[in-house]
Amino acid sequence: MIMKPELDKNILTFLLVSIGLIVFPHIYHIPAAVFGFFCLLLGWRFIGIWKQNRLPNARVVFLLLIFGILLLYSQHQGLFGRDAGTNLFIIALGLKLLEIKKERDLYLISYLAFIVAASQFLYEQSILMAAYILTVCCVLLATLVSINSHNMQIFAAFKTSAIIIVQALPIAVALFILFPRVDAPKWMIFNEQRQARTGLSDSMEPGSISDLGLSEELVFRVKFAGAIPPQRQRYWRGPVLSFTDGKRWIQGAFQKPLIRPTVTGTPYQYTLLMEPQDKNWVFALDMPHEFSSPLALNAAYQLITSDSPDKRAEYKVISYPEYNTGPINLSEYKAATRLPGEPSDKIKQLVGQLHGFDSPPDNFINQLLNHFRVEDFHYTLTPPVMEANPIESFLFNTRRGFCSHYASAFVYLMRVAHIPARIVTGYQGGELNKVGDFLEIRQADAHAWAEVWLDKRGWVRVDPTAAIAPERIEREINLDRQAVYGIAGASDYLPRPAYNWLKQARQLWSNVDYNWQRWVINYDNKSQSGFLSLFGIEGLKALVYWMITVIGLITAVLCWFLLHQKPKTADKVLLIYSRFCKKLAKHGLVRNAGEGVKDFAERVKMKLPEQAVDVDRITDVFIRLRYGRVATGEDLQQLKRLVGLFKTR
Amino acid sequence: MNLKERFKLSRFVSGEKAVDTPVVLNHRRIFILPTQRGLGFVALIVVLLLIAFVYNNNLAYMLAFLLASVFFITILHSYKALAGLVVQKGRAKAVFAGEAAGFDIHINNPIDVERQQLQVTLQDSQSLAMQAQSTAHVTLYSVTQKRGWHQAGTVTLSSTYPLGLFRAWTPIRFELKALVYPKPARLDIPFPQTVSAQGQQGFNSKGSDEFYGLQEYQSGDAIKHIHWKAFAKGLGVFSKQYSSEQALEEIRLDYDQTPGHNVEERLSQLCRWVVDAEQAGISYGFALPGLKLPPDHGLAHYRKCLEALALF
Repeated sequence: MIMKPELDKNILTFLLVSIGLIVFPHIYHIPAAVFGFFCLLLGWRFIGIWKQNRLPNARVVFLLLIFGILLLYSQHQGLFGRDAGTNLFIIALGLKLLEIKKERDLYLISYLAFIVAASQFLYEQSILMAAYILTVCCVLLATLVSINSHNMQIFAAFKTSAIIIVQALPIAVALFILFPRVDAPKWMIFNEQRQARTGLSDSMEPGSISDLGLSEELVFRVKFAGAIPPQRQRYWRGPVLSFTDGKRWIQGAFQKPLIRPTVTGTPYQYTLLMEPQDKNWVFALDMPHEFSSPLALNAAYQLITSDSPDKRAEYKVISYPEYNTGPINLSEYKAATRLPGEPSDKIKQLVGQLHGFDSPPDNFINQLLNHFRVEDFHYTLTPPVMEANPIESFLFNTRRGFCSHYASAFVYLMRVAHIPARIVTGYQGGELNKVGDFLEIRQADAHAWAEVWLDKRGWVRVDPTAAIAPERIEREINLDRQAVYGIAGASDYLPRPAYNWLKQARQLWSNVDYNWQRWVINYDNKSQSGFLSLFGIEGLKALVYWMITVIGLITAVLCWFLLHQKPKTADKVLLIYSRFCKKLAKHGLVRNAGEGVKDFAERVKMKLPEQAVDVDRITDVFIRLRYGRVATGEDLQQLKRLVGLFKTR
Repeated sequence: MNLKERFKLSRFVSGEKAVDTPVVLNHRRIFILPTQRGLGFVALIVVLLLIAFVYNNNLAYMLAFLLASVFFITILHSYKALAGLVVQKGRAKAVFAGEAAGFDIHINNPIDVERQQLQVTLQDSQSLAMQAQSTAHVTLYSVTQKRGWHQAGTVTLSSTYPLGLFRAWTPIRFELKALVYPKPARLDIPFPQTVSAQGQQGFNSKGSDEFYGLQEYQSGDAIKHIHWKAFAKGLGVFSKQYSSEQALEEIRLDYDQTPGHNVEERLSQLCRWVVDAEQAGISYGFALPGLKLPPDHGLAHYRKCLEALALF
């Protein structure tokens, strides 16, 4: 087919715009040099639409090709893998743009553009990105539509392609659900450089958690099967730190066979949806009791996964809020009472003053927590820097800090009083999404608390932060976060309904996002078989049968909608009349071509005089419907009835 | 149509047996196969699936499935691009051999669907778009070689709308033929001397263009000789008279006396004479073995002669 020159410009503009839109989000993913080179080629081609002679000739294109290859080579990314592949396709697309000679080239370019669109998903998989790419694909298809139509307006082409996409969606969704998912073999998976992610680290210095303190980044989400635990019980256990040099806390090495804690009370059953992490820690509600592989409990009762943590993963866990970890062994005891050096007199004096040496541990704990409460201690996310001796300067001078300061000071003082104690880091709280009924735990919820070992009770959780800033633990809303993000401020000047509405909208969106992650992005082999077994579809064979059946059904429905033409009233009238003619035909009365309806009626009456009345009535109604100015639905019904009753004897 | 006909491969290319009646395009007549671009699209889907598989990326899967689904749905749209059209044969004009015969084809779009792109192909293609409930008239040309009846052959209606991934086509054969007259000889041989003209002296066989005067139109006068300017001024219908008509009232064109090495050359020469004589407005008698026409002139006579030549 020959391209029509006057359409040529429109189609090209359309195509170039859609390609620009497709490549644009890659600005964050590909090197600036590659992106710049592509922009240059695209811009050049754009100018070429109006000024044909400005387009590069074959020699310049060849030079550009060499330059592109050198550029790729200079990025040191090889040929395979996500980044290298994306760069390669983008440069190939850019170079191909300069060489549009035939209609075939337009197709090749659109196909390349589709691949670049798919590569976008390797970087980002949010709903917004999906919607964006869907729209752009629609524009690309519209380009193909306008190539293949005689003289179609751009907008009409866009509409046509949108209709095609909407019609294609049901089958695509059916395929998505039913297409068997198999994990790619190991050799096919390219090693990608992992991007550094923020998150809890395996060591803690007073102040280190504050880096996370304000990050809104999601860490994990939890959906409970039954009741949701109250805020003050929501401690999501992470790494346990028991070794310290007085400043820095790290995970201590102690040997202890794992003795599963005995649990009591009502269990909480829930599903954890972990976002990609650097470490293989799974933050379970204190105390995890039932879980399945790849999860395992370590000696400090922390859940560890043996799967790669850099993918989203879903785990089912049952936790009990009340537990007893039983006796302590020597190695553990030593690790939990070890001090970095001889405590100073000031410290000893404080412990003595709080009856650390001469009363049961319970009493000392209460005394200490009370001390934090009544003395001039403050909870702040921006404490003064404590350099040399952080615990002592915190306790006696600055008296300002947040969870890690309080937890480390608490544990230190416990150890001075010979009570085994250690720091537990993790997350606390989480915001309830009322729409989706799940908890969202963000980096800002990072927390550190203490654990002391008490005779007959085992390790017991004590949160000194709760003593100084109960609202941090008790309240649903994170005050610090609100203060920083101006949400709390917003509630002051926004009218109450508007503020509520804003909050609801945000929760609604989080809920949509949660389900998106869970059901679309995370839909894999396992969740597929789980989901499909609900419908009794098990095994590959059943899957294939179902796929064929469902697609067949959808196709049948589509065929009916697309190809079935609803007969118009005029056609219906003719249809009924032809039924009448068919009845007469049995008597050899066939209406001749060109014979008027009335003439035919006369002829029929001659042959069948006893039915003259019926024939006349039918003919009258037919003429009224067919040629009359106003035809009513009643007439149509009447005609139908009359013809139905008409009998030839 | 019996089973054997139904599975005949030629249905795909040359269509069913030739018909006289209008043809409604339906599932029996419309064929759909992917184009080269369509196969390219399949390759694209495979590449996308591979990317999705390697990176275990559900959205890439979704895109691949969506495009696969689009590919599939396009089959229905391709069918819809042709279905329901009513194609009817029109007239065919007679031509001289070597010229292109024109066949009129009427395409009627009786339903409420716009046809964005249609291609009608005989030897060359014509592309057109049709509004809902409209009729289009297309004249297709086919170059003729030999005198006689020239069959229109297979008219193919096709469309690659909407995405160019599939081509839907319908081959149709109509009982449609054009009469092809022999190619007029190029040689300029004078009219044969005939019995009635023999006595006259100095006639000029070529001098048919000497204008002599005007005469009131009589039925049978060549339309070419009507004095259109006078007619346009409202003066009445006049025929231009040429001198040779006075000098040479009639000639006799006889196959047996026509020079030529073979039948075709002779027919060709005769054709040339017929054309020249008609143009000059000379009455000409015409004789072929088995056919004899008395001297006359005018369109009807001219046609009769040429038809006899074409079908000899």
